Amino acid sequence: MIILDNISKSFNVTHAVKNISLTVNTGEIFGIVGPNGAGKTTTIRMMTGLIKPDEGKIIVGKYDIVKEAINAKSILGYVPDKAFLYEKLTAREFLIFISAIYSIPKSEALSRTDEMLALFGIKDIEDELIESFSQGMRQRLLFASALIHNPEALLIDEPFMGLDPFGIRMLKGVIKDLSSKGVTVFLATHSLYIAEELCHRVGFINKGSIISIKTREEIKGMEGGLEGLFLKMGS
Amino acid sequence: MILLLLKPKLLLLKNSINTQVVLRRLPFIAIGIVFWLLFYIGTYKVLTYVRGIEFFGEILSRKLFSMTFFSLFGFLILSSIITAISFFYLSKDIPLLLSKPVEIRDILRVKTFEAFMNSSWMALSFMPPVFIAYGISYGAAAGYYLLVLACFLLFSLITAGIGITIAHILTRVFPAKRTRNVLLGIGVMLFIMIYFLVKGLIPQDISTPEGFINSIMSFKTESPMLPSFWITEAVFPILKKSSFNIFYPIIILSNALFFLLLSEIAGLRFYRVNMERIQPSSERVKRGILGGYYPEINTAMFYKDIKIFFRDTGQWSQVFIIGALIMIYIYNFKSIPINALSGFPFIKEIMVLVNLVLSGLVLSAVSARFIYASVSLEGQAFWIIRTSPVDINRFIRSKFFYGFIPVTLLMLVLVFLTNFVMDAKRILMYLSLGTVLMLCVSVSGLGTGFGAMYPKFKHENIAAVSMSLGGMAFMLIAFSVVIATLSLEAWIFYVYNLKEAMDMSGAIQIVLCMVMIILINTTAFYLPLRIGRKKLQEHIGII
Repeated sequence: MIILDNISKSFNVTHAVKNISLTVNTGEIFGIVGPNGAGKTTTIRMMTGLIKPDEGKIIVGKYDIVKEAINAKSILGYVPDKAFLYEKLTAREFLIFISAIYSIPKSEALSRTDEMLALFGIKDIEDELIESFSQGMRQRLLFASALIHNPEALLIDEPFMGLDPFGIRMLKGVIKDLSSKGVTVFLATHSLYIAEELCHRVGFINKGSIISIKTREEIKGMEGGLEGLFLKMGS
Repeated sequence: MILLLLKPKLLLLKNSINTQVVLRRLPFIAIGIVFWLLFYIGTYKVLTYVRGIEFFGEILSRKLFSMTFFSLFGFLILSSIITAISFFYLSKDIPLLLSKPVEIRDILRVKTFEAFMNSSWMALSFMPPVFIAYGISYGAAAGYYLLVLACFLLFSLITAGIGITIAHILTRVFPAKRTRNVLLGIGVMLFIMIYFLVKGLIPQDISTPEGFINSIMSFKTESPMLPSFWITEAVFPILKKSSFNIFYPIIILSNALFFLLLSEIAGLRFYRVNMERIQPSSERVKRGILGGYYPEINTAMFYKDIKIFFRDTGQWSQVFIIGALIMIYIYNFKSIPINALSGFPFIKEIMVLVNLVLSGLVLSAVSARFIYASVSLEGQAFWIIRTSPVDINRFIRSKFFYGFIPVTLLMLVLVFLTNFVMDAKRILMYLSLGTVLMLCVSVSGLGTGFGAMYPKFKHENIAAVSMSLGGMAFMLIAFSVVIATLSLEAWIFYVYNLKEAMDMSGAIQIVLCMVMIILINTTAFYLPLRIGRKKLQEHIGII
């Protein structure tokens, strides 16, 4: 479960996020959509502990991301929108490194590494340096690293960036599977059709505030679906 | 077109200069000015002393001038080669530039300018005190200052032209796809350069003062084929107010133009092919003997950094520069005519102290390269650490040891060897090794802390991090810690050995000095680490 309790964040005089309150239930896939610069990435970065909120608090599982950062981060998985990785490590070395900093025991780390490499289709390039990876392969590796420690909550910023149709299909399956196993998923995206297909609920964010939250069923019943709603809300 | 291509960099510079930034950097600027002044005073005093030596004064003064440029010549070429490889082949804006309708010639010229500025800005900023000291010592007119600056600028352009040409050729000759081979080539070249340099520096006889002066005079720095000779010949007549000879300034100018043109021809010939061959390949990396090693959380970051260090050309290539510095350093100590100076009281003790001061300088320079830059090495992948359950203290600790272990080993070996070469007494050996160990701890803490206070995660190449304003400030502060510690130790030595009788005030002075040494080093170690930790935790401009 993830709880955002009245969180706000400003950069100098610009309000990036204003008084957002939200609860994402265990096993729920919650999508957040909105125009560019609406505050999606800032919200996710606050949830990961990269940025501290000016006001309010964020609870991941049972931990406050600011006050109990280490505990909260140990049950979080995060996939950022830009895939900056250690270019001079191989995919396998990178996953082993991530396992080590999450304090996963060796035998489990090795089996999880093999499992993740196979699941995301990068087993055959596991010993190549990340610097030679395509955008899609990097995205697959990012997902593998975010899931290697079996997180309770997964935060994803633009999940399908650079992925080919096979990758998108595979990833949608992974996210649905995680949700069915009780992992809470919070994703920010511009791909409305994917949000419509994957998310149990979708929140619309504009100018730092959530202006509406709709369930999948509510969206389906609306004329123009999520796109119609997006255009209406955005304007 | 060139100005247009430079515009983004100029705008970046313009946008990064505002009142807030200037105010924040004011302490660094002040430290820089203080060191500039100290450097000037030091050079002036040495020059005054040298010029006062009977018969040889003027010759030695001229010799020192040409030797300075002779050493600079080698190091600027080396620095240019490494900077050129970074700027021409590894810069992040290269793919963008190559994809636009821009002539290769223009790209080469822009990169030449950038490589030149980055490889020589430090020499260009730190040489003026030397020129001013010479000017004032000789009472030179304004024309001297203009001439020496113009000649030095052209001298730097010659080294840039040579360095860039070599960089293009090395990248072409060595099997591409592996830039490390290119740098290996540089290593071999460096070895050859040092070999000849050392050979040229071998003094014939250092057992007497006359022999020492003779051996200095026999240093092979004055070949008419070398720019250091041209610059000395161009500047000295006007410095000594004799008639101005246009011949050597024209030689320098024509060589600067020639080598720049040569670098452009080499670039036009090789650049495109080299760029194609240097693209990252999907080559498999062998797992090696440590392939099955699984680090625990405390060692994971350290292990990762070591692995990256040996794979990243930009990082490990800097070892060559440090290696060159150290070889010359040890050799110079071997050349010191201690026997010739044996008439002076406490000469060995003084030489051990001088050795410590100089090794402190090496420690500051090496730490700027390997310790200060260690936090920035994470680059934009720092989000991985920030979002994982790793305490920032643990991260900083890992960075501290990543720099501290190799730097300390290096410094201990360096001081041991130089003291050994000088045949220092056992007690002096222990004291200097103890002092160096303490300085390594405090300077490593200072460097890691400063690196965390001023991280540059979005760096173009890691060499630029240690050359930044923060890096320079760290280096100067680190050297101040060294000087303060050694001055206090020297005072303890003086009070203990030279005062006729140790009275109460002497004992108090010794205790006070010891307390101050501990205070200075503890503060240098602890305070920056604490501030750096806080700053790093609040750092938001990561991705």
